[in-house]
Amino acid sequence: MSRYVIEVGNRPIKEVNEDIQAAAKTHRALLIRNTLSRHNLGIGLPKGVDVAFEGSVGYYCGGLNNGATITVEDDAGWGVGEGMDAGHITVGGYAGMSAGAAMRGGLIHIRGDAGPRIGVAMKGGNIIVEGKIGSQAGFMSHAGKIIALGGAGASCADALWQGEVWVAGEIEGLGVDAKVVEPTAEQVAEVDALLEPLGLVDSSRNWRRIISGQRLWYFESRDANAWLMI
Amino acid sequence: MCGIAGRILGKTGDVGTDLVDLMDAQAHRGSDSTGFAVYGPPRESGFVVRAMGFNRAMLGQDLDDFHHILKEHGADFLENPTWDASTDKHYSVRMVISEPLSVARWIHEADTICTRFEVQSVGKSLEIIKDDGDAATVAEKHHVRGMIGTHGLGHARLATESAVRPNASHPFWARPFPDVAIVHNGQITDYYNWCQRLERQGYRFLTQNDSELIAVWVSDQISKGLTLQEALSLSIKQIDGVFTYMIADLNGIGFAKDRFAMKPLATIQQDGAFCAATEEQALRRVYPQKMKIINYDGPSITGIWGHGEQAA
Repeated sequence: MSRYVIEVGNRPIKEVNEDIQAAAKTHRALLIRNTLSRHNLGIGLPKGVDVAFEGSVGYYCGGLNNGATITVEDDAGWGVGEGMDAGHITVGGYAGMSAGAAMRGGLIHIRGDAGPRIGVAMKGGNIIVEGKIGSQAGFMSHAGKIIALGGAGASCADALWQGEVWVAGEIEGLGVDAKVVEPTAEQVAEVDALLEPLGLVDSSRNWRRIISGQRLWYFESRDANAWLMI
Repeated sequence: MCGIAGRILGKTGDVGTDLVDLMDAQAHRGSDSTGFAVYGPPRESGFVVRAMGFNRAMLGQDLDDFHHILKEHGADFLENPTWDASTDKHYSVRMVISEPLSVARWIHEADTICTRFEVQSVGKSLEIIKDDGDAATVAEKHHVRGMIGTHGLGHARLATESAVRPNASHPFWARPFPDVAIVHNGQITDYYNWCQRLERQGYRFLTQNDSELIAVWVSDQISKGLTLQEALSLSIKQIDGVFTYMIADLNGIGFAKDRFAMKPLATIQQDGAFCAATEEQALRRVYPQKMKIINYDGPSITGIWGHGEQAA
């Protein structure tokens, strides 16, 4: 695919993002080069554009995505896809803290591991991690699925609301009010339907579906000591 | 939110330049003040002392009083003191001194004039330079880019819990342990309790900055027999708050991260050299080419990097 090229280097990020937004109106595919792990790249991109970032990016890449397809070649810093509404973000390597924080829709696909608090406060959409997810995954998430093909760190699904964390590998520990339940065949089929376009379906996986125990939903301050985990 | 950085070269080189670049890239994390701890070629005898006076009009009197206390403890200037040439009211002094009979006792007495003349580092190798302003401002004023050495630390401060004053900037020296310095990103919430306990043991804290505690706390644990690695691990269990800090001594740099994993640290390690920063994009100032980045995003992590080796 022929891509319209935009250089980042040491240019002001506001200027780079204005260039990306302008190019997205006339080109369907963009290549962002020389990213130097800079922050806030590709914010609020529209539906219909395919943006590839060469190398690694810094914080909040693809934040507030409105439907673009975004690919990060290597690693992404904290908050990749934060607050995104729609679209598809792929991170080729590691994604730092709070990937997909408060996202409302779309899909984030991380080929490597992910840092702590992935999907914190997410309101919708789905996150698929081929590696391990860090501690406190899904912290206070309200909706959507975080799916880890690898393991999970400590305090997994801490203070979860109505989101779900799916883990195929080892779980170091569950968070406050998190509960492991056996998924139904129908629920596994829903997850496989998300994995299938990525070629990641494996029927031999031993899924653990983690949901809220719902006791924190009715929190009373007099019970606070019972919830102290750390 | 502050920004921190650490740099180890495989050999003596332009560590000042690298530290300035690392902190310039993180100036947005806090430009209240900026500081550097540079480990130059170690002296065989005597110490390098960095100090700050708070009234330039008193410079002569301050140095006379400091010199008098120094001589009472069996030491003297080995070179004439030098100071910055700015017109700021406060001033920074570099001194080379012979070794006092007891560094702890000498510093204890030198601190009797700390309200007007504050010693900010003592070491065979360590020199702490810190001041108001961003990295470029502080580096230009104090000629940090010209400083050579083996390793060092950098800090950009966004003041949250104590005053914006040049002496409340990081790095902090582990008073009175020569050649130990820290930089810290975070908040220590039981700072006053720990300071009071350590003050009862004879330690002295000159600022209201919570980070000043960490350097002394770790050094105190080591003086009681713990290894650096053990002290770093213990700090995570015993010090309350959210933090990522780096502590340096003559041999290298260690770091510790709190139980909540709230503060980032990204590193590049290659061929005995090491580079760490709060933000990966700062590392790219030193290593613009494609490099393997190791992120320490998880909770309760410690690590130590020495010259030419890595033990995270």
